[in-house]
Amino acid sequence: MSSEAEPGVAPRRLHPAGIAVLGVASLKELALPLMVAFVTAVLGAGGGGEPLFRVLAFGAFGALIAVVAGVVRWMTTTWAVSDAVIRYRTGVVSRKETDIPLSRVQAVDTVYGPLQRLFGVRGVHVQSAGGGREGEIRLPAVAPGDVAALRAAVDGRGGVAAAPAPLAEWRLGGRDLLLAALTAGQLGFIVPLLAAVPQLSQEVFGNDIRTAGAEGLRLVPDTTLEWIGAAAALLAVAWIVSIAGAVLTFAGFAVARDEQRLRLRRGLFARREATIPVARVQAVQLVEGVLRQPFGLVALRVEVAGYAAEHAAARTLFPLLRRADADAFLAALLPELAGTAPHVAGARLAPAPRRALRRYVLPPAAAALVLGAIAAVAIPGAGAWPLLVVVPAAAWGAECWRAAGWRLGDGRVQLRFRRMARITVLAPVARLQQHGLRQTVLQRRARLADVTARVGAGTRGHVRHLDAAVAGGIFDALRDPQAVEQRVVGAP
Amino acid sequence: MVAATATPEPSQTLAPAARTLWRLEGGVGTLVALVPAILVQVLAGGMWALLAWVALALFALFATVLVPEVRWRRWRWEVREHEIDLRHGTWEVIRTLVPMARVQHVTTRRDPFQQALDLATVVVHTAAGANEIPALTVAEAARVRDRIAELARTPDEL
Repeated sequence: MSSEAEPGVAPRRLHPAGIAVLGVASLKELALPLMVAFVTAVLGAGGGGEPLFRVLAFGAFGALIAVVAGVVRWMTTTWAVSDAVIRYRTGVVSRKETDIPLSRVQAVDTVYGPLQRLFGVRGVHVQSAGGGREGEIRLPAVAPGDVAALRAAVDGRGGVAAAPAPLAEWRLGGRDLLLAALTAGQLGFIVPLLAAVPQLSQEVFGNDIRTAGAEGLRLVPDTTLEWIGAAAALLAVAWIVSIAGAVLTFAGFAVARDEQRLRLRRGLFARREATIPVARVQAVQLVEGVLRQPFGLVALRVEVAGYAAEHAAARTLFPLLRRADADAFLAALLPELAGTAPHVAGARLAPAPRRALRRYVLPPAAAALVLGAIAAVAIPGAGAWPLLVVVPAAAWGAECWRAAGWRLGDGRVQLRFRRMARITVLAPVARLQQHGLRQTVLQRRARLADVTARVGAGTRGHVRHLDAAVAGGIFDALRDPQAVEQRVVGAP
Repeated sequence: MVAATATPEPSQTLAPAARTLWRLEGGVGTLVALVPAILVQVLAGGMWALLAWVALALFALFATVLVPEVRWRRWRWEVREHEIDLRHGTWEVIRTLVPMARVQHVTTRRDPFQQALDLATVVVHTAAGANEIPALTVAEAARVRDRIAELARTPDEL
């Protein structure tokens, strides 16, 4: 594998195991059209005993597509290391060529997913200083020997392949992992579940639409108790699924800091590594979820330039932490962001004025009143109970008011607010993409205004109903990072 | 804005033809809203239809007369050496400040109505998204775009 003159890797295709990985990837891309075709064909033709045959046929068809797509992509993908450059060529119709000079390589991360483990290969992710789509190469299946040769070549040319000893490291313990999973509360799963109900009911009740409708109606809960029972069951299922998902995603989470980079590792079946150059970190969010805040737990998320399109889990800096430990964590792993004084979780932020409480509470309470009244009328036998929904709505509004806060100092801005979770955004003022003020006609009369700020592509802060003069002062201060550097503008 | 900022308010206005543009768009919206009104007339008639026509008339009034005028009067923008300052909105006034160092690129855009009226929109892109100055004359939009592009030519900021 090494030539005589210098370390290199001769041009080669991916390991044959790549066929499986690329095939599965192609299948994932085609998943939605395949699902639609599957559902309409299996359920729509009104066939009697045929559905099983159709399911098998579709399964076989899907597998065939995966194999063919995998083979085609495998045959048209090559990579090589020569002349101090990594070359990557892929594509059937339109060829994509990526060359990365070895000296610009910033990280060679490896991924072992279940498919890679099965065949004893590694997935490799090469990142360069430029970042973005053009600055990275992903090789889904590489033999371990080739990975070593690649790393040796990168090191030989002054790039960075292996992780140096970390200056600081934090790991997620088993108990904390379970706690994080239990309190994750990701209910986004519930939407596709709800969408599947009509399909399921049609399947269960046969293909005659009219009788299906009549029988289906009998299944729809028609007393309040059954509605509550159905909702609770649905939530329980969604919760269990989200727990399992969280455990799979965050098992073995560890963050290490070396001189210029943060290295994150996570995952149970698919072990993922991510390298974040510290210079690209733009902001940190402390997210205190509804289930976590009472126990003093926070999750940390990081906004990184150039990584915004990735899935939310990829931006997790640490899944679960005690609020009291957050300052120590940031001081150890991101001192550039944390600043000199401990002030993230410990300091008290300047709150929203008292007179703003009304504005936080009344809109959600009014909306809840309207919805409750509609429900009270529409659901027979419910009586006036649905109107009680005003109470939690008003309480949530009050909680939003209590959560509102801000602080400027040490060159950083902190904005805290609540949507569902309580979120604190911490960012250097110089990194803000934009900031602003918002004021409705009603707010103008009450001398209140909102402060907004955006950092990076995914981090937004919006503190509502601050005193108008204070908001104006924050607006002016955020224009001038130097001023924020020198003195603390916010009341401690 | 009562929120007294020491930062000077932006001073530039949009092209006067912006009102015409928004009136045209309001007209199209009214035509589209005509469809449900006619449906209500045909299907329900009587009281409901009367309500629908009144609602349509109000919508037309707002969309083609009131809103364009007020919106044009409220829109302000300014390009300074280190920042872009925008202020707009009728019910809710929104003030936005974009540091010039964060501007990634700037483009102009013209939809068919704008092309007919010799107008263009300047779109300023940052990592956090895009901000727009709608409905400037084509010449001014080009000038603003070039000025922003020149001012934003700082070394590689993210």
